[in-house]
Amino acid sequence: MIAPIPSIDATGRYRVAASLSLKGVNLHFGGVKVLQEVSFHVEPGAIFGLVGPNGAGKTSLFNCISGHYKPNSGSITISGTEVSGSAPYSLARLGLARTFQQPALLLHASVLENVLLGGHIRLPGGPVSWALRLPYTARAERGIRAEALELLNRAGLGWAANLPAGELSHGLHKGVELWRALLSKPALLLLDEPAAGLSHGEVEQFIQTVRRIRAEQDITIIIVEHHMGLISALTDRVVVLDHGRKLMEGTAAEAQSDPRVIEAYIGKDAADDAA
Amino acid sequence: MRTISAVLANRSVRASLIAVVAIALIVAPLILPAFTNQTLVRIGVYAVAILGLNIVMGYTGQVNLGQIFFVGLGAYVAAYGVNHDWNILLVFVAACVIPGIVGLFVALAAARLGGLAIAMVTIALPIVGVPLAKRLDEFTGGSQGTSARFTDAPDWSGLYNDQWQFYIVLLVTAAAFLLARNLVRGRYGRSFGVVRENEAVAASMGISPYRTKVLAFTVASIFGGASGFLYLAAVQYTSPETLSFGHSISLVAAMVIGGAGSITGALIGGAYYVFVPQLTNAIDPNLTAISQGAILLAVLFLLPQGLVSLPRVIRRLARRRTAPSTPSGKPPQNSPVHHPTTEAAVREGLETQRGKIDHED
Repeated sequence: MIAPIPSIDATGRYRVAASLSLKGVNLHFGGVKVLQEVSFHVEPGAIFGLVGPNGAGKTSLFNCISGHYKPNSGSITISGTEVSGSAPYSLARLGLARTFQQPALLLHASVLENVLLGGHIRLPGGPVSWALRLPYTARAERGIRAEALELLNRAGLGWAANLPAGELSHGLHKGVELWRALLSKPALLLLDEPAAGLSHGEVEQFIQTVRRIRAEQDITIIIVEHHMGLISALTDRVVVLDHGRKLMEGTAAEAQSDPRVIEAYIGKDAADDAA
Repeated sequence: MRTISAVLANRSVRASLIAVVAIALIVAPLILPAFTNQTLVRIGVYAVAILGLNIVMGYTGQVNLGQIFFVGLGAYVAAYGVNHDWNILLVFVAACVIPGIVGLFVALAAARLGGLAIAMVTIALPIVGVPLAKRLDEFTGGSQGTSARFTDAPDWSGLYNDQWQFYIVLLVTAAAFLLARNLVRGRYGRSFGVVRENEAVAASMGISPYRTKVLAFTVASIFGGASGFLYLAAVQYTSPETLSFGHSISLVAAMVIGGAGSITGALIGGAYYVFVPQLTNAIDPNLTAISQGAILLAVLFLLPQGLVSLPRVIRRLARRRTAPSTPSGKPPQNSPVHHPTTEAAVREGLETQRGKIDHED
């Protein structure tokens, strides 16, 4: 039998927000340079935006942080721990959680079961303990279920808990993904295009939700997004990427008025006209 | 149907139902004819093998075409132990642990390759296993096979052999099903499911897809070994023919027919594995292969989720007859809710659906 993976207790060790530092991150696929010398630092507790036009390398950078891609060089640290090249599953233990651009739920499983996946690393015990249904595993399971239900209830999704996830709308899928990530009690939450495919009303609701999360818990949030309204409403700082390079760093308002950013988004001629 | 499921949801009703089934299973061998007992015993034997297969294939989505290898290995280990006068408990443990260790090593290598590699490696197992069993005649008795009598009823019990064997198989099978049921609910069941559906999501939840596959494969091998022990207990003889590739494919078919990703489905699969050859033989002994194929196709077309989904399908058909159109033209329950125009409209639509579901369950 396999040695059980070390677990953290149900009290949630990762309540302290994490910091994130990138230094000289390079990533290339064959000859294509996807990321070049990207460096920035995210303070604990910040909401940080990663913006840029299509193909700028935002999602690739995101995947480097979450461990799904391994940078060719450079360093990525979460709260001082070097993570570049770590297996993605090991990063959850450092308090990292993420959502996906296309919501990735188990469509046949219930909404509650989907959210419970986020509790995996907080549950104790190896397969033998669970197969024997030892009292402490049964207790932990009851506890995490109650917590997941409470998250869903507070999000106004309690009524959907036992519905198959496949029956919900795209907008609600994104919500379920967010609560799944939060059940792991992350110290660093990565949101990959949370507004993609949402209606105007749903984006507004999402902004309120993220504000509430930040008000209630000590957490660092990184958002990759096109939707400038959402970025302006939520982020403390942004990094703008273009062609795999860091174009500028500052507040969302600074980014929106920066001529280099306007040029990257709408082309040089239009930027000249605007200027 | 509605009332039946409502009654079943009640905890005390369920507990008494389990008690009734348990008593029936304990009393049954005392009144049933020997042939029926032997048939039930064989169902138990294969249900355990299919249960293991279900964990690795049905729940975790890793194609395993070599489950019979572990059944055969368990049977050979048990035969070796019995013929060397080991304690019966030691025989049982060895028949589970040795296939488990072999399965662990196979999975450690195969799961690293990913994709179809596990399927390919598992095909190789019975193909290598048969000549190996013939060659290692010191342990296996070669092509002739080896027999081991250890399940004759002891005098103090006052039972016939078939009854005694029934109780041994019942005990092991019940324990196996209970353990499997516990395992697939909760922490590990969820990690099996997410590894089957999406490994990137699994990893982002802190679940190692590799370790999860290795775990599922190892559990399946242990269950295969236990099934091999039971096989020897029931048949008292094993030969290289026991672990032939054809049997392995039949196990996979029985698993899918019973219901992939369902514990009850594994039991139904065991019954299918035992009954269908008997049934097709009764129809026309010359056409067994064709009629087995026809039954397989019929079940897969009518019940793609396996026989275990039959009550669900009947319920759905009954509902369709009573309520031909859903209220206020909302989409039927099985199609996803379409893209929302406003949050409120979606909420309203789902509320209506929830109302329906609450009434059903």
